[in-house]
Amino acid sequence: MLLSVVLFLPLVFALILIVWPQSQTLRHLALGLSLIEFLASLAVLKNFDQASAALQMVEQYSWIPRFGITYFIGIDGISLMLIMLTTFLTPIIILGSWNSISEKVKGFHVALFVLQTAMMGSFLAMDAVLFYLFWELSLVPMYFIVGIWGGSRRIYATVKFFIYTMAGSVLMLLAIIFLMRLTPEVTGGAVSSSLLDFYKLHIPFVAGEFFTAQTLLFFAFALAFAIKVPLFPLHTWLPDAHVEAPTPGSVVLAGVMLKMGTFCYLRWVIPLFPEAAEHFAWFFVSLGVIGIVYGALVAMVQPDVKKLVAYSSVSHMGYVILGIFVMNQYGVNGALYQMLNHGISTGALFLLIGMIYERTHSRMIVKYGGLASALPIFTIMFVIVTMSSIAVPLTNGFIGEFLILMGTFQFSPLAAGISVTGVILGAAYMLWMVKRVFFGPKGEIVTHAEEDKEHALHDLSLREWAVMTPLIILIFWMGIFPNHFMDYSKKSVDHLIANKHNYTLEVK
Amino acid sequence: MNITVGLTDVLLASPLIVLFLFSLIPLTIKTLRGNKEQNPAATIVIALIGLGSTAGLLLLFGGSDKTAFNNQLLFDGLTQWSALLAIIASAGALIMMYENPATRGRQFSELIFLALNSILGMIILVAAVNLLTVFIGLELMSLSLYLMIAMSHEQKISKEAAIKYFVLGSFASAIFLYGVSFVFGSSGSVNITDFMQSAATLVKTNKLFLFGIVFVIIGFCFKVAIAPFHAWAPDVYQGSPTPVTSFMATAVKAVSFAAFLRVIATQPLVGSQNLFDVMQWLAVITMTVGNVAAIMQNNLKRMLAYSSVAHSGYILVGIITAGISQNSAFSASSVMFYLFGYSIMTMGAFAVVSLIERSENSVINTDDLAGLAKRQPALSMCLTIFMLSMAGLPPTLGFFGKFYLFSAAVNEGLVWLALWGVINSVISVFYYLRPIVVMYMKEGDADVADNSLHATTVLVYVCAFLIIAIGLFSGPLFDLVEKSLG
Repeated sequence: MLLSVVLFLPLVFALILIVWPQSQTLRHLALGLSLIEFLASLAVLKNFDQASAALQMVEQYSWIPRFGITYFIGIDGISLMLIMLTTFLTPIIILGSWNSISEKVKGFHVALFVLQTAMMGSFLAMDAVLFYLFWELSLVPMYFIVGIWGGSRRIYATVKFFIYTMAGSVLMLLAIIFLMRLTPEVTGGAVSSSLLDFYKLHIPFVAGEFFTAQTLLFFAFALAFAIKVPLFPLHTWLPDAHVEAPTPGSVVLAGVMLKMGTFCYLRWVIPLFPEAAEHFAWFFVSLGVIGIVYGALVAMVQPDVKKLVAYSSVSHMGYVILGIFVMNQYGVNGALYQMLNHGISTGALFLLIGMIYERTHSRMIVKYGGLASALPIFTIMFVIVTMSSIAVPLTNGFIGEFLILMGTFQFSPLAAGISVTGVILGAAYMLWMVKRVFFGPKGEIVTHAEEDKEHALHDLSLREWAVMTPLIILIFWMGIFPNHFMDYSKKSVDHLIANKHNYTLEVK
Repeated sequence: MNITVGLTDVLLASPLIVLFLFSLIPLTIKTLRGNKEQNPAATIVIALIGLGSTAGLLLLFGGSDKTAFNNQLLFDGLTQWSALLAIIASAGALIMMYENPATRGRQFSELIFLALNSILGMIILVAAVNLLTVFIGLELMSLSLYLMIAMSHEQKISKEAAIKYFVLGSFASAIFLYGVSFVFGSSGSVNITDFMQSAATLVKTNKLFLFGIVFVIIGFCFKVAIAPFHAWAPDVYQGSPTPVTSFMATAVKAVSFAAFLRVIATQPLVGSQNLFDVMQWLAVITMTVGNVAAIMQNNLKRMLAYSSVAHSGYILVGIITAGISQNSAFSASSVMFYLFGYSIMTMGAFAVVSLIERSENSVINTDDLAGLAKRQPALSMCLTIFMLSMAGLPPTLGFFGKFYLFSAAVNEGLVWLALWGVINSVISVFYYLRPIVVMYMKEGDADVADNSLHATTVLVYVCAFLIIAIGLFSGPLFDLVEKSLG
């Protein structure tokens, strides 16, 4: 029951906001409600048994019996942390959008809450049709968030986002239908769309032939998720969407939505098609490595800070794919950790860029320079988050990237060697950007602000402190005590790695 | 020949008789009042009561698997469900007719008379098991429709649409009849129940029978706008008054597909591989042509017309599946379910268009919706739901319709048709998103023609509600349909 409450509470909140009168209290209400949701998810965390790899707090009710479709949700170590990330980021996003969203405030918060339910649904769903429903539902609010509150090319960006994602997922729908058709052999006659029944299927695999059931199904699923991640060369929607999205949109997109793709590799692709996943691992590892280096190189030459961070996302998500497809303990644990890290550090970067944009209305690096003298505290925050993003020890990013690279080394020293250059390039473009924006000679914006007292730059307000503090704390907490977080997922990940060829989840 | 008409026949045909009698009432009143139009509200109420009692009688006597009038009309599950669907879709169109500027006015009684007779033709069409009776149903439905289009107060394009539809429609009817004559000549019967078992072998052994069946199928393909027989649809849909377009796109299409299903269920596709191949390609071409052409349309009704062609392609996948399936109840009910979903969302979309039209000569382009979300948030939300449902996004009726349809196709091994279907849903997203973009993301002064509460507005809300509610709980309805078709 608790899990359903956590899942649907945001949807209820959205309905409350629809009927709430348009007023100043709306933002306060939304913030309060999102905190309630966070508390509810803490209850899930408290009831979660980290000593078990089983699927916990399971709820299953019949929905469309003719096709064996059920309302079936459950949580395990792999999805738990992503649920926590979602509920943790939402209040921060609402607080962070306090000033930047000034029009249609109600609609924005409604879309955000619907999006929250959709994203959590795709993490929790254990039924293929239910999962597909949430997966596609998450498109609609994001489409509106980018399209209504976005920048000047928002319509192009949002339609591109929608069509890219939809194109990937319809093939997955066909694959789901096909898998459902196979289920009678394991359920004893009835069609079923339960993921646990899918796990029991043994889909024939022939190495070296493309047109075999498992290979085709594998690619149908993998394509859908690769677009969402986004994996090079399917990443082109992401920079557009990030640049045009309003700050909170970028934070949700980078923070949680991209993780839907990588999470689903662990939940769906590897357990369902282990042979194909192993056989094509080199392919995904190569794409991951290319993505790391390519993303970093492209990020380096971006004149727009936000676009730079967007391409750094491509690079960072390359690491996650790398960690997943090397399929050993270090790699997958690191990948899961890196998902959280990326959510926090890139989310924080987008928030910081949003704050500076609100003050100066520009994101062009050349116009900045010497910002540290005008905004010292802001600069400190930005540097800390940068450190996390480039994986400096004691920050969370270090743990994730280190584990992934260790796992990759076991898989292929060559791949590890090339991806290490990504770490160096990552440090290079981020630090170079920090140097050009915050240090060095004073740029156009800073000199203008110093001359004109009316447009003086103000350092962080109390609200912005409140936005950033939890993120900064988490960056260090996760960097210094990784076990506090990894202990929750370790059992499940080990179980997946050890049993991927006959994966099954115990239900508790 | 000894012709007797028993009480069972009359009871079974009572929905038809009652509907015909009701269609006469407004016209009679008008004549008695010295050719003065009575209050349209009274006319519409009479018509809706007529439709309601017809539906009631259908529920009472319709699904008994009995035949009436010496094996001419069959009242089985398919008849019952498709007739009910036609009645629901027509009721929506009648409500729009009552309020749309192009249809209300001096000749409202005549329009309602024609509409009810067209519905009568529809019920005959779906109940008929004799190909000649099918033809009578088809003609009664179509002839009334040609007049309904031509009666519009709109100046020019509706007349053009009516003539175009009439000429091409008559041509298709002739082809249909020609095919029937070959079927009769080669098999000695025009009754579908007679060659239910033998059609597959006849198609294989008798070239003339195959020839006849092909022509019958082409006749249906024209009626439901399967490419390359779809060329009339965009012009006619655009030229007709919006409520009549809605009537055509939902009720007419639904019953034509139901009759098509009845013919294809004799399994001529099993006998002839060539015919089977051609039908599959027709489905693929129809989906693709409809969707690609719809991308290029600015006029909202024309866009919906091409989208309706594309939906015909999806439904044809289901029809083919039913035609080769040994247990066709599943695929037939997936077709019926899709038709239901399609009718509801199309009706809703046309109702929104109808609300925006200010005069009978209104041309609504997609860009004319700019800013609608600001002034009419609820209506825009509903149109968004219709568009997303047509694109097949969950949790709408459109998604589950496609899900059932493609499940049936995959079950019969037609994976490649399902693949084309899903690829086409992605193409369709291009143009289904455009009205949403324009409504929500562009500035403009779009508004409904008149802000007072309309029955059409209520209709829009009901459609949107049904799309979500039946979408989320589609299981019981699907089971019910499948049981009655089994």
